[in-house]
Amino acid sequence: MTTLLAKRKVAGAAVGNVPRSKNLLSGLLARRWIRGTIIATPILVLLVGFLVIPLSIIIWGSVEGSKLTFSHYVRIFSDETNLSVMLQTLKVGFAVTLLSLLVAYPVAYLLTQIESRALSIVTLFILVPLFTAFLIRTYAWMIILGRQGPINNTLIWLGIIDEPLPLLNTTFGVIVGMVHVLLPMAIFTMYSSMVRIDHNAARAAQILGAKPVQAFFRVYLPLSLPGVFSAGVLMFIISIGFYITPALLGGPRDAMITQLIVTQLTTLLNFEMSFASAFVLLLVTLLILFFASLFIPLEMIWSSSTVENTNRAARSKSQLFSNAKQAMHPALTAVEHLIHLITKPFLTRNARWLWAYTILVLLFLTAPLIVIFMLSFSSSSFVVFPPPGISLQWWEKLLHASDWHESFLFSVKLGAVSAIFATIIGTMGAFWLVRTTLPIKRALFLFSLSPLMVPVIVIATALYMFEARIHLLGSFAGLVIGHVLLSVPYVVVIMAAALRSFDQSLETAAAIHGARPMQVLRLVTLPLLKPALLTAALLAFLTSFDELLITMFMIGRQTLTLPFKFWNDIKYELNPLLSAASAFIVLLVTAAILTTLWIKVRHDRRTSASIGQ
Amino acid sequence: MSTSLEMKKIQKWYGGLHVVRDFDLNVDPGEFVTFLGPSGSGKTTALKMIAGFEQPSGGDIMLGSRSIVDVPPYERGIGMVFQNYALFPHMTVAENVAFPLKVRNVAKAETEQKVRRALELVKMGEYRDRFPNQLSGGQQQRIALARAIVFDPSLLLMDEPLGALDRNLREHMKIEIMRIQKELNMTVVFVTHDQDEALVMSDRIAVINEGRLVQVADSNNLYYNPTNRFVASFVGESNLLPCRVDRIDSGAGKVTIGDHASGVSRLNGQARGDSGWLFVRPEHIDIWPQGAVTDVENVLSGVVESALFLGELTRYVVRCGNESITVKQQNRGQTRFANGTPVSVSWNMGNSTVLN
Ligand SMILES: Nc1ncnc2c1ncn2[C@@H]1O[C@H](COP(=O)(O)OP(=O)(O)OP(=O)(O)O)[C@@H](O)[C@H]1O
Ligand SMILES: [Mg+2]
Repeated sequence: MTTLLAKRKVAGAAVGNVPRSKNLLSGLLARRWIRGTIIATPILVLLVGFLVIPLSIIIWGSVEGSKLTFSHYVRIFSDETNLSVMLQTLKVGFAVTLLSLLVAYPVAYLLTQIESRALSIVTLFILVPLFTAFLIRTYAWMIILGRQGPINNTLIWLGIIDEPLPLLNTTFGVIVGMVHVLLPMAIFTMYSSMVRIDHNAARAAQILGAKPVQAFFRVYLPLSLPGVFSAGVLMFIISIGFYITPALLGGPRDAMITQLIVTQLTTLLNFEMSFASAFVLLLVTLLILFFASLFIPLEMIWSSSTVENTNRAARSKSQLFSNAKQAMHPALTAVEHLIHLITKPFLTRNARWLWAYTILVLLFLTAPLIVIFMLSFSSSSFVVFPPPGISLQWWEKLLHASDWHESFLFSVKLGAVSAIFATIIGTMGAFWLVRTTLPIKRALFLFSLSPLMVPVIVIATALYMFEARIHLLGSFAGLVIGHVLLSVPYVVVIMAAALRSFDQSLETAAAIHGARPMQVLRLVTLPLLKPALLTAALLAFLTSFDELLITMFMIGRQTLTLPFKFWNDIKYELNPLLSAASAFIVLLVTAAILTTLWIKVRHDRRTSASIGQ
Repeated sequence: MSTSLEMKKIQKWYGGLHVVRDFDLNVDPGEFVTFLGPSGSGKTTALKMIAGFEQPSGGDIMLGSRSIVDVPPYERGIGMVFQNYALFPHMTVAENVAFPLKVRNVAKAETEQKVRRALELVKMGEYRDRFPNQLSGGQQQRIALARAIVFDPSLLLMDEPLGALDRNLREHMKIEIMRIQKELNMTVVFVTHDQDEALVMSDRIAVINEGRLVQVADSNNLYYNPTNRFVASFVGESNLLPCRVDRIDSGAGKVTIGDHASGVSRLNGQARGDSGWLFVRPEHIDIWPQGAVTDVENVLSGVVESALFLGELTRYVVRCGNESITVKQQNRGQTRFANGTPVSVSWNMGNSTVLN
């Protein structure tokens, strides 16, 4: 026997050297249910303690506790103004949803067809607006739609109109702004489910004699409907709970339910009424989600990669869709023929048309950011577009604006702390949710997404009351809790997807070759999850960095966060300093996204399973 | 340094499913034992219990003189090669191989030396700085092997390690694994459902069926002296003819094969009057023109039902009454029997056994 290593000590000896405490920890971690309990606790405490309980409190409050009076609800529905606010909310929500879906669908369709280099470029153009704060984008629209804005200026210059059109403070303004805000999300949500559809199905249909239009309408479109539907649900529940954009771009008659809640809570101090309104909003949202769950697995809305083993649901849903289609069949055929005649000349080169369209959409998405950039170099001291000249004065001002610096630093600190907590809690939760053997796994996963289902304004109201009670209101910790609550679901979604595709035999291999549970985690599991962790942390950071509503309620007397400072200044006056600040933030966000993408690409290239010398 | 492995009455239940039953097995130090069995027979489950990924529902496992059922996997000091290799994709080849040493806090210099020797042993020395995704399947396999042996484990487990390789590579790796096992004198438990692999590589083969060990024997004995109908039919091709023992004569049995033909066969513990199955390998049966033989113990006459030319041999199926008998005859230029030809088939008593 030539020995590779004649000393067998290696295997046994190291065991003796390990301190007892480590053995104890390893022993504990070896037990499944103990491990489960440890990793499940943080997220459960967060969700129950800071979402379920606060929500229960305001619901209880809305009926004035044990008095059980429904007078506030009656008032919501009997008061003319309140009722019209409700209707306006639904109307805007509906319009925004429909428009974003229509605009986004072709782009998502194109994304599924192009090769990966083009895909990553187009994606970047969508990602940057997506991660630019709602507030900044809304600010840009205030400029663009303003009386002196580029649209009015161009129209006047072209001689089409004499007087500036009133675009700002109209329902039109609200809808444009909100579509812009929601479009990137609509594209990605649809894309992530459409990318799983095999284009060969439509091609096969064409080989079998279907005209391109028929192939699309009869094969591809039906297959993509679940994705469209889930994107629609998401758009709708976000838009009816939206605060920033309608508040800034709308006029007095465009008030939505969120503004009603805020006014009652902060100005009128009519707490019960605001609770009742919040509960109505929550109820509407939950009803929509319930309705949606009849057609699609709910988790598909936020994380399409999660949907597995849901064929049953998928079948019942396609059943419903196909019944509807059957009924409309004759009309459908006629329409198809018509469209076929019209589109026949274009469809042969359809990719090019799609490209042209997509570029237009990308322009729409990025134009506001470009406007902000140009304005930040304006030589004028007013917001006029195009700027009369170029200067660095606003950047210089920003360099010396200590209040902005403070806000920036405070936001970074808040974002970093929130991101760290959210990433830890969310990752632990994702481990638990993916690996638990509990039969209610799916319900638990949905529960972990609940902060995304409850409109932010409702969370803000509930947390506000709750934190006031437990004397956390106005503290840094109180603020962090709110932000963590909002970002944890994103972390869960990302980490759960990563963990599901994680090859667990690697952990087994590490264990049998001598790695203790903590060593497995440190040397194998976490390094392999690095890109996902980074993405999750970045998303959590940006969520906090952009957050306005919760902050408005919880901040107390602390330094203003960047979005809050922005908010105050926008309402006070529009000046190019805001543009410089916005431009700076856009640059930061872009850099962060690029870095994350770069790390991810490098990691993937290294660890992908492809074989080749 | 190799260690013995002893499994005592191991049981495994998954809910109401009895997956491993009464496993009793001793593996000597330096021995290569293969678990062979059909899919779902419990091979992987048995291996997982040795590795410590599953807790046995009953029984005990001894590694050397120590019981390991309560020892977590990372303290068992066992090496393992996984079917999909399970190489760590974020580590280089050298880091992968060094992993078992790193987690045991082995000194740098010693680690380096052992990694180098392990890589040399699997002939992968020059690939140390590659990442696993830059290697072919066979190369990944070698690295997985190097990682499993670098810390001189007391026992090496392999779960269908060759399953993902193409045929040529598989032949090659079989030889390599055998070479390394002999060189390091390692105790190996190898899992496969490929009987060729099992027959070529193992010192002993443990045939598993429905969670039970049905026979543990070396390749030769397993092939020629199966003790059980399952083994006879699972390993290699065999004829199993229904028979009844009429008389016992100095260890050998006079038997009635099928309805009427009589023959002589070794017995496997049967008593007079027992019925069983007469086992004989197709290559042990000779085929003649009908009536040409009379001096052999077992002769049946029948008709050729099919004759397949397979190159080095011809495979006949001969119908004798109700039974079909498969015969494999080496092709040495003799004339082949066409379908429908009346023939006699014969075999020596020593080549047949009555099995239950
Ligand atoms: N975790 C488990 N829970 C329930 N049943 C299991 C589990 N793991 C294995 N089984 C069952 O135990 C039986 C034996 O499985 P095992 O994986 O050991 O088979 P195997 O012999 O390795 O088969 P193969 O050759 O296909 O790998 C199978 O019937 C399997 O369905
Ligand atoms: Mg197996």
